[in-house]
Amino acid sequence: MPGKLVGSSEEAARTGTQANAHAEDHSDLEHSAPSTDDGFDEPKPPIAKSVPPSTAIPKKNNFKQRGNTKNVKPPTLEEMKELRDTQNLFHSNLFKLQVKEMLEELQLKQKYTDFIENWLESFTVFTRQLKDGLMERTHLEVPMKLSEKPTGFVFSKPTREPYLIGAAATGTLLGPKIVVDVALEMPKESLHKEDYLNLRYDQKRALYLTYVTERMMESPDYAQDQFNFNYYANNPLKPVLELIPVTKQVNKHLQVRLFITAPLSSFKPGRFVPWNNNIRPSFYGDEWDEQDPLPSTQHYNANVLFDLTLSENQAQLDKAFKSRRNFQDGLLLLKVWLRQRQLDIGYSGFGAHILAAFIVYLNKQRILHQSSSSYQVARTVWNQLANTDWTKGISLAVDPIQTEELNKFAEHYDVCFIDFTGQHNLCANIPLYLYKRVREEAKLAVELLNDMKLNSFPLIFMQKCPLYSRVDNILKISNYSCINQMLTLHSQPRIKYDFANYGYPQLLHLLTELLKKGLAERVHSILPLETATAAWPVENKAPVIGKYIQLGLILQPEHAYEVLNKGPAANDDLAGAEEFRRFWGEKSNLRRFQDGSITEAVVWGTAQDSPAKKRLIVRHVVLHLLEHHLQLDSKEVQYIGGELDQVYKLSPWFKVNKLKTKLSLDQDTDAEALSPHVIRCYDELARQLHGLNDLPLEIVSISGVSPIFRYCEPQPVLPQALLVENRILASTIQRVVIQLGQSGKWPTELGALRALKTAFLIEIGEKLEAQCRLHWVISADGLLVLKQGYCFLIELAHNKELALLKQEVTERGITTYVDNAASRFLERQHYILPKVSGALHSLHQTYSAFGSTVLLAKRWLATQLLDDGLWPDMATELLVAHLFQQRYAPQSIAAPQTGFIRFLQLLSHSDFNGELFLLNFNNSWQEQQIADLEHNYRSNRQSYPPLAVATSYDMQHAGRLWTSDQSPSQRVLGHVTRLARRALEIIETSLMSKDLRFVRPAQLFRASNEGYDLVIQFKPDLVPNSLSYDLGSPFVSFSQPNFSLPRAGSDYIARIVGLLRSAYSDFAAFFYNPHGGKELAIVWRPTTEFAAKPFKVTELQACRPCGNGKVQVLKETLLEDFKLLLKDFYLRIATPEELKREQREHQKPMRYFEANQAVEESKPKPKKHRKRKGTGKEAPPKKKRLIKSSTLKALK
Amino acid sequence: MVELEGYVVVPLRTTPDAQHCHSVYMREHFIRLMDPNKPKGRTLFLLNVPPYVTEDSLRTVFGRAGSIEAVEFAAKPGKEETIKWYEGTGEPFSSTRPPFVFKVAYIVFEKNSSIGKALALQSIDLFNSSGECIIKTGMELWHDEYDSNYLLDAQKTKLQISKYMAGYDKRERAAAEAAKTGEADADGWVTVGKEGRNAGFEQKASVIGRLEEKVARGNKTKELKNFYTFQIRESKMQNIVEMRKKFEEDKRKIGLLKQSRRFKPF
Repeated sequence: MPGKLVGSSEEAARTGTQANAHAEDHSDLEHSAPSTDDGFDEPKPPIAKSVPPSTAIPKKNNFKQRGNTKNVKPPTLEEMKELRDTQNLFHSNLFKLQVKEMLEELQLKQKYTDFIENWLESFTVFTRQLKDGLMERTHLEVPMKLSEKPTGFVFSKPTREPYLIGAAATGTLLGPKIVVDVALEMPKESLHKEDYLNLRYDQKRALYLTYVTERMMESPDYAQDQFNFNYYANNPLKPVLELIPVTKQVNKHLQVRLFITAPLSSFKPGRFVPWNNNIRPSFYGDEWDEQDPLPSTQHYNANVLFDLTLSENQAQLDKAFKSRRNFQDGLLLLKVWLRQRQLDIGYSGFGAHILAAFIVYLNKQRILHQSSSSYQVARTVWNQLANTDWTKGISLAVDPIQTEELNKFAEHYDVCFIDFTGQHNLCANIPLYLYKRVREEAKLAVELLNDMKLNSFPLIFMQKCPLYSRVDNILKISNYSCINQMLTLHSQPRIKYDFANYGYPQLLHLLTELLKKGLAERVHSILPLETATAAWPVENKAPVIGKYIQLGLILQPEHAYEVLNKGPAANDDLAGAEEFRRFWGEKSNLRRFQDGSITEAVVWGTAQDSPAKKRLIVRHVVLHLLEHHLQLDSKEVQYIGGELDQVYKLSPWFKVNKLKTKLSLDQDTDAEALSPHVIRCYDELARQLHGLNDLPLEIVSISGVSPIFRYCEPQPVLPQALLVENRILASTIQRVVIQLGQSGKWPTELGALRALKTAFLIEIGEKLEAQCRLHWVISADGLLVLKQGYCFLIELAHNKELALLKQEVTERGITTYVDNAASRFLERQHYILPKVSGALHSLHQTYSAFGSTVLLAKRWLATQLLDDGLWPDMATELLVAHLFQQRYAPQSIAAPQTGFIRFLQLLSHSDFNGELFLLNFNNSWQEQQIADLEHNYRSNRQSYPPLAVATSYDMQHAGRLWTSDQSPSQRVLGHVTRLARRALEIIETSLMSKDLRFVRPAQLFRASNEGYDLVIQFKPDLVPNSLSYDLGSPFVSFSQPNFSLPRAGSDYIARIVGLLRSAYSDFAAFFYNPHGGKELAIVWRPTTEFAAKPFKVTELQACRPCGNGKVQVLKETLLEDFKLLLKDFYLRIATPEELKREQREHQKPMRYFEANQAVEESKPKPKKHRKRKGTGKEAPPKKKRLIKSSTLKALK
Repeated sequence: MVELEGYVVVPLRTTPDAQHCHSVYMREHFIRLMDPNKPKGRTLFLLNVPPYVTEDSLRTVFGRAGSIEAVEFAAKPGKEETIKWYEGTGEPFSSTRPPFVFKVAYIVFEKNSSIGKALALQSIDLFNSSGECIIKTGMELWHDEYDSNYLLDAQKTKLQISKYMAGYDKRERAAAEAAKTGEADADGWVTVGKEGRNAGFEQKASVIGRLEEKVARGNKTKELKNFYTFQIRESKMQNIVEMRKKFEEDKRKIGLLKQSRRFKPF
């Protein structure tokens, strides 16, 4: 059979080349690795590859025998297996291939492995020629506080060759900055029997390190290299040498860390068991009662044991990982996962070495098989992490440990994972909360993997999820005197000895215990947020660290905002009540409750407080606790939570008490707190509508579709609407869609249907006036109704209208229903939006931070001069909803600020081209539907808008309903991504820096004034201001706000800008702040649009002849058009530079109104944030004027 | 007077002292397949008309050259463009408006001689003798627009509706009548309605689709599947081909993703 022969020879060639490729691929890796390149195939013995290809072909091969079948190549066994594996193990090829690609990307380049090998060799040679000797003089600073002078130190040369530890040894080095850890063992001789006590060992270790470093610097081999000291894992007892070799080969991407260790036999066995004391109180000059047993120093002991057990542990790990590519790759995957979550940073970090040991543990327990694929390794580790509890202790020890002994061991630590030697706890420094966090993340990872409906790869591996964006509130204490006060007055001596007087863990312990007790159910976890210490040159003194602490609080949304802390009943539990009173201090009062009980209680607010105010309760609690127990003033600590809430507050310029309304409104209110009033009014209106008598048809459904009905309206809505001479004046109108009962009598012509609809609305209006005494006006869009100072627009939805819009008659005379722009818009407004609105409303009921997150997001976009025409409001709402729906983190977001940070992350890190945002409300999309949609989306990307959002209510329009090619356009999308990155950068630096305060809203919520070509100013008295807190325009100085009421539903500026865009978007882009912006910023399109071009009838828009038969567009002509369209609104045109100069020089800009009303803003701008100037607008007007006059005087 | 490619180019001025004006390109409308609404010899064709220019303003300006029969706009020259431009705008109770973009205009004069006069215009002046712009702009325009949209007089609207509905009822009745009689109209066509002796089924896509589906289902039940060996073999093969196809497709996707460097976690 020729066909078969051809097939098999092809097959042979294929397998052959594959085998060759493998051989080549692996030449740079460990040669003994038997597995294939992808790390997914189960490792096979090397023979498998050289098997003659004929065996790989199924014997019974009927495919080629039939002449009529097309050229189907018979599948090989391997192929079948691979395809089946893919189905069984992964949900799709996609996940598998993605992981494979990522592993390839992470693979260490050959030159690095070569370099490491060579470096270690030369270093071994170097250590061999070291001689015993006395440290006489050193020009280096020993990286530790010493009790004696360093000069007396006697160096004895190492007897053991230096060896690789950690990632370099297990073959799991991870870029981009490769850190190679090398251990050098101090010989037994250099340590005395008594060195275990009072940090003597650690001092010797530091001296040894200094001595070796100095010799290295003298050696010509290392003369060029950069020498730095650093603390390993922010631990001041563990200084290491950081060496950056200067060679072209590795080009500063590689760094060697030198650890000094000691042999396990240096000290008496059992010297460092957790219950022993190795630092005496007298060492710190403290008195200790001789009667009392010495306090155990388990953490310090573990610290020493880390060094002592290192070689033994490393040997075991080497044995387990050597030549097992699958384990190595599995560990790599886990490391990527861990690092993206930033759980491995600092003193309390969950290091990757623990995961390596855990893999070995699972292997030993026969949970993980030798030949598991790397995916299985990662998955099993996550699964086991999630389902095992280490707080009782687990052990890797070669000699089995009795459970009792293990328990005794574990009692001394939060988390306990005993190493191979059975002496050291690998998790000694990990706080309980952090361990729990790791478990939660692991659980989430498994859940994501199991979710067939989503592509979990980017969520698990690619997405950066810094810890600060996972916590709701942050407590930051960096004040030096505060820290010292806490350490000296409040830290227990026992803890002090335990951590060898290192400040950080003491603070962590102190604060965690206090907050845990005080916040109790309000808080889910309290996580340390650490930053790795920076290395310092070896000649410099070691920096003092641990004088700064930052804690992240993940709140429990159900309890966090409770206004009451109830103590024990005063008459039952006297001691308890006493204790409660002592804990809470003066805040605690005896209260009588409605159920008759009389108990001690602390009240933090009233139940009627606005949500934003309630969100500050945790802050109050924490600050009170700090003050009551630690005497820390609230000014000396930073509590970051609700810092940005200000931007949706009511403008302080608007005085609520001037408003005539029955509602009791507070001046200090915000958009979020005002929404319920509108919703209540709407509910009442709905009741009235339902109750209308004698309507020809019954009203069957009423739904509010404006953002306010789902708590997403960022501008405060106050009951100010008025009826003046038959006109309704209102700043906003709330849209309501009603549907009527079925009737077959509606006309089948669009015009007649609409006429009848209008007639019906008039009928409703008349009935409302007669029966409920409400004012109404009929408009082309619907029925405007005025109720309690709010203005509603009632629209009538009828599905016949939709059908008639869609109706088309084909050539064959068949009536079909085809979607078009108009029908899609109508369907969206009348049918889909009510459903989505309802879904978002219920989302807000579940996650109370949803609404306020949307408010922040919308305010931010608006202040970046992006209005609905450039970036649809619905897109913002749906993207935020996506954040709350998708399980990006184990806990849902409880604070709007965190929600906003995540929104920025979503904008800055999303691959908009590749990802479709699907909101699967009620899980109504089936797996297959999602797969089809995604497939269609990928293969047909061009037909979707740049940003594609779909919900479960718009299946047939999926991805095309909420966004279009124009909004947001590719350009705007790129612009928003850049803005979000910048904003995130500012937030991150201010959060992670020790000294900076958290960003002020003005830094974020004000656009940059750079990059625009022209700015058209409007007449300020014609454009009403928004009621939201104004942080100022980027272009002009502050001006008197104007709160005049426009006619209901008339947003002239939006209308004009819409017209400008429709006519001139080929030549310019228009930006303005939809929340009361008084400038229109213009960016011209690239100059190519304005170049001379040949005459063409279809491309003649705005062109004028310019000689040679060519035509050209002139900007001046366009500007005249802009002025014409903006007539009456137009004040003047200027370039941003001119405006900037004006602002700087305090010249009074040409004002339409009296100049003395203008209040100049004159604070010098911090240079650090040149782009977003942080000029405070928070101050009330009076203060502002004071500031102004003083600086003006200073200028004169 | 500038001429370009057979077009007369004139400035369009909104104020007497306008510096930077748009250029409007004019010529006599002439194409091979003439539209009866734009008759040969009497129609003036204008290119690059700014979006804010209205029908009335053009009537005023070109009225000087002769009395005008009609002024029509379109987004670009072409056969169906004018119809597309006005699509949906003529319907009552609808807020559809023609697009706000640069457009072309056709001015149909009553007399042939007017074309020459029109082409001899030095400029299109959109202002009256006192120098005021004849296009409504600014607050005036927006207020008018608002009033016509938001301030309908309920009584007047009611009247309008009842008038319109009366007309509609009449049309409907006539159509129903025609369907019932089943008589051929002037062209020899018979309207077949739902009622009457020769009632056909509704010519709707959904109805036809349902019928076709029924037929297909009937065929399917008669067919045997995976019965003969060759069928089983073929379906297996099909399965493998599909799996391979999916694999290849995924690979391609990865290739695309790879290009965008999506695999670097840090």
